[in-house]
Amino acid sequence: MAPKQNDLLQGTLDLMVLKAVSLGPLHGYGVLLRIQQISGDRLEIQQGSLYPALYRLEHEGWIESEWGQSENNRKAKYYRLTAAGRRRLRSETEKWNHMAEAIGAILSATPEEA
Amino acid sequence: MSVSSRLRTWWKAVKHSEQFSSEMDDELGFHIESYAEDLIKAGLSREEAFRRARIELGGVDAQKEKLRAAWGTRFWDELRSDLRYAFRMFAKSPGFTAIAIGSLALGIGANTVIFTVTKAILLDKLAVPNPDQLRLLAMTQGDKGIAHRNWGYFNNMPDGKTLSTSFTYPVYQQIRQHNHVFEDLFAFKDYGRMTATIDNKAEAVMSEMVSGNYYRALGVRPVLGRVITDTDDGAVGSGPVLLISYGFWSRRFGRSPDVIGKQIEINSTPMTIIGVNPPDFTGVYSVQNSPDIFLPFSMQPIVAPKFKSSLLTDTKLWWVLMMGRIKPNISNEAARASLDVDLNAAVRATVPVGKDDEIPRLQLENGSRGQNTAGSAFAKPIYVLMSLAGFVLLLACANLANLLLARASSRQREMSVRLALGAGRSRVIRQMLTESLMLSITGGIAGLLLGYIGRNAIPHLLSSAWQPTVLQSKFDWMIFGFTAAVSILTGLLFGLAPAWQSTRTQVSSGLKDNAQTATQRKGNLTGKTLVVIQVALSMLLLVGAGLFVRTLMNLNHSHLGFDPNHLLLFELELPRTRYPGTKTNELYYQVEEKLNAIPGIDSATAIELPLISGSVSNSSVLVDGQPRDKNKGDAISLNNSVGSRFFQTFSIPIIAGRSLNEADTPASQYVAVVNQAFVKQFFPNTNPLGKTFRADEKSTQPIEIVGIAKDAKYYTLREDPPSTFYTPYRQNADGTEGMTFAVHTRMQAETIVPLLRSAVSSIDKDLPLLDIRTQNEQIEDRTKQERIFASLTSGFGMLALILACIGIYGIMAYTVARRTNEIGIRMALGAETSRVLRMVLREASWLAIIGVIAGLGAALAMGHLIASMLYGLKAYDPYTLGGAALLLVFIALATSWIPARRAANIDPIKALRHE
Repeated sequence: MAPKQNDLLQGTLDLMVLKAVSLGPLHGYGVLLRIQQISGDRLEIQQGSLYPALYRLEHEGWIESEWGQSENNRKAKYYRLTAAGRRRLRSETEKWNHMAEAIGAILSATPEEA
Repeated sequence: MSVSSRLRTWWKAVKHSEQFSSEMDDELGFHIESYAEDLIKAGLSREEAFRRARIELGGVDAQKEKLRAAWGTRFWDELRSDLRYAFRMFAKSPGFTAIAIGSLALGIGANTVIFTVTKAILLDKLAVPNPDQLRLLAMTQGDKGIAHRNWGYFNNMPDGKTLSTSFTYPVYQQIRQHNHVFEDLFAFKDYGRMTATIDNKAEAVMSEMVSGNYYRALGVRPVLGRVITDTDDGAVGSGPVLLISYGFWSRRFGRSPDVIGKQIEINSTPMTIIGVNPPDFTGVYSVQNSPDIFLPFSMQPIVAPKFKSSLLTDTKLWWVLMMGRIKPNISNEAARASLDVDLNAAVRATVPVGKDDEIPRLQLENGSRGQNTAGSAFAKPIYVLMSLAGFVLLLACANLANLLLARASSRQREMSVRLALGAGRSRVIRQMLTESLMLSITGGIAGLLLGYIGRNAIPHLLSSAWQPTVLQSKFDWMIFGFTAAVSILTGLLFGLAPAWQSTRTQVSSGLKDNAQTATQRKGNLTGKTLVVIQVALSMLLLVGAGLFVRTLMNLNHSHLGFDPNHLLLFELELPRTRYPGTKTNELYYQVEEKLNAIPGIDSATAIELPLISGSVSNSSVLVDGQPRDKNKGDAISLNNSVGSRFFQTFSIPIIAGRSLNEADTPASQYVAVVNQAFVKQFFPNTNPLGKTFRADEKSTQPIEIVGIAKDAKYYTLREDPPSTFYTPYRQNADGTEGMTFAVHTRMQAETIVPLLRSAVSSIDKDLPLLDIRTQNEQIEDRTKQERIFASLTSGFGMLALILACIGIYGIMAYTVARRTNEIGIRMALGAETSRVLRMVLREASWLAIIGVIAGLGAALAMGHLIASMLYGLKAYDPYTLGGAALLLVFIALATSWIPARRAANIDPIKALRHE
């Protein structure tokens, strides 16, 4: 069963949203779809948390929004990464990788080495 | 993270709330539609798809609230709703709100005004660097003291000695030469009024005479030009220069820099303006207001000759004030002892000292507030006012506390409901905090307005109608801050404490509360204590008001002995340079004649010291043919020099002999009219007419008593007329530089004043008419302190009474409401209406009586302190005390009548169903 968003830290959701938006401007529903698509449907974002995360990131100045036309010609709000957001994504990615490595090292430890 | 994006988003959420909301609707709507379409594609029915989409998003409204919160608006939103709620609560009970804000405003406003004046009078220091280093030299002497002739401030000490701050000029020079305990010793003198002629226009200015080292020793620099230096204060006439005050510079010269080097005439002597003092500098005599001009002592004999000869060489007249900065490593006592030796030596070096003569002892006074006559004159009244204002603040706080407490307990149920519905404790307290703060801040702003409007009220009351303001008080933010903080803290404390309490109790017990109160009787002890305190404070303030109002009434109705109506007064001051010796008397006589010739003037007279002005002249009296009593000192009588129409102008009846008349000239026999008290003191059993006496201050020639006048009050309303003799001013051997003229006329002041002016200027065009006022204004001026006290204390008393009414009504209404059940049961069991009525009224009267008794004790203690300020009644005046007590008890019964009626009309059936 795919892990629900509940199990993920808030920072992780922010990181995923930033990453999704970094690939090109997206509207909220698009962000949702892209994350599911990239993760190969292994991650399902809880919809109730998505928009607060988007607003929080905009409040912090990491993404900015603009109204535009959706693929089916409807008015939609598109989010894109800002320069500050790009820096944030880079540093957060580094932190994540660092942490993942460390946790990986711990988990791959064998009894002999301990 | 960036501050600008945070602000931008927050601002949009707050400011463009509507637009923001519709954008969120669009965005979330788009999401729901897109998702629903995908679900439909996956095979769900349209309805089901939209339902699922909405559920997964978690509800549009809840979602929108979260999004707003994400933009940092949560605190703002909650505050807004709290404010809106608080506003609605206040609008629902406007009476409560008005009273709460009103008591805060009055407490804060009254105290700001009074403490501002207090600070100006008691605390403000001279505007010079390090004023605390300054010491004012003073001296004390007993009856045999060598300093007989004193021109300046003096005070009778409790030990019978006299303290004075004046010295002779030669003594100053000697002491300054020998001084080694002060950095330097400088001299100054508040020389009073001089006539300044600027561009051919004469006007009166106030002057201070200073020594050459004055500015250097004080460390005061001019804003313009230079200061007076030692070279200006050398030989007589060496420094025809003066500095002007910043105020005079602004008022008279429009702050023109061209004023430096300008020639003006002071008492007809040409002098040059060399500098302008800094704005805050007031000289060193007074902290409250500055003289207009500052000139060196070297000019005294030329510009302002007084008495007989140059005062600079006069060894008998004590008139110069001395000040200095004490050296840092020298104690006050060491400095005093050293200067005392110098004073003793200086006196011996300048005047012959007989073996019985007493040489004055030197004292050091704090010089940081100058001579500080205002401080000593107003200190006691100011302390009394301050305490009364403090009581008002206390009363306002008690009232506020009481209101908030009663309100909180009536809202306990509301709190419990809120808590039961899931509000957090901090959220409930924040709500209460918002309400209390809103109330307090509104009250604070109202108080600020009141204080700002009233800031000049007391200085205005303290000054004469015809003279410049005695003191200028600046609005003091620190004082406002202090009183505002006290009141707001009270509001917060009593607004929050009950809220805090109610959130701590069990929700269920809060909701059941009303059911338990059926037999609760001891409740609300705090509220009752507050009411008792209010009544006690009201009692105190009412007694104060009663005492001061009765004092004023007694003074107003006191028997004057002369008729103050239709009398207009003005003064003339003659430059001695133009009118030496008895030339002054000749001019005054001319003025009198001119005035009496004006049609519409019934009679006009000169009078050296105007009546009820606080000024008095006295003289020792030795009756010819009566032996001098060696053991007693000389007998003293008051005296006044007057014109021949004095008794007629002031309507003082002559009961025996004759009045003064035109035939009493400098060449004829010296004569006097005496009053009844004089006769009683000096001629208890004989007819005084034709008898002669000698008055050493007036002349060595015998003065013949030619008439007896009825007693009339002289310098004060508060004392019965003491023995007084009136002599014709034309027989004054030395002349006088100042004279008051009294004119009896039924014409309007506007009509008569130009006539007076032209009459005087037809004799000497450079003589200005000074201090024009009516005799009644003169009397009012002497009772201004009493009037201030009467009006302020009555105001305070009224306020106290209203607050006490509200307090009693509030507490009784509350008690009755709480006891509805109990009263219902009593009535169901057969209690009569009148019994219930009595029960409620009894409780109210108990509260009132306890308060009145407590207040009575406090009032007696206060009466002791203010006894000397009263006139014609004792501090424990039974009418005032009884009246105040009866009034309060009556008010208590009257205000609790309404709740008592309500209790008595309770329908038992309804009351028992009250739950």
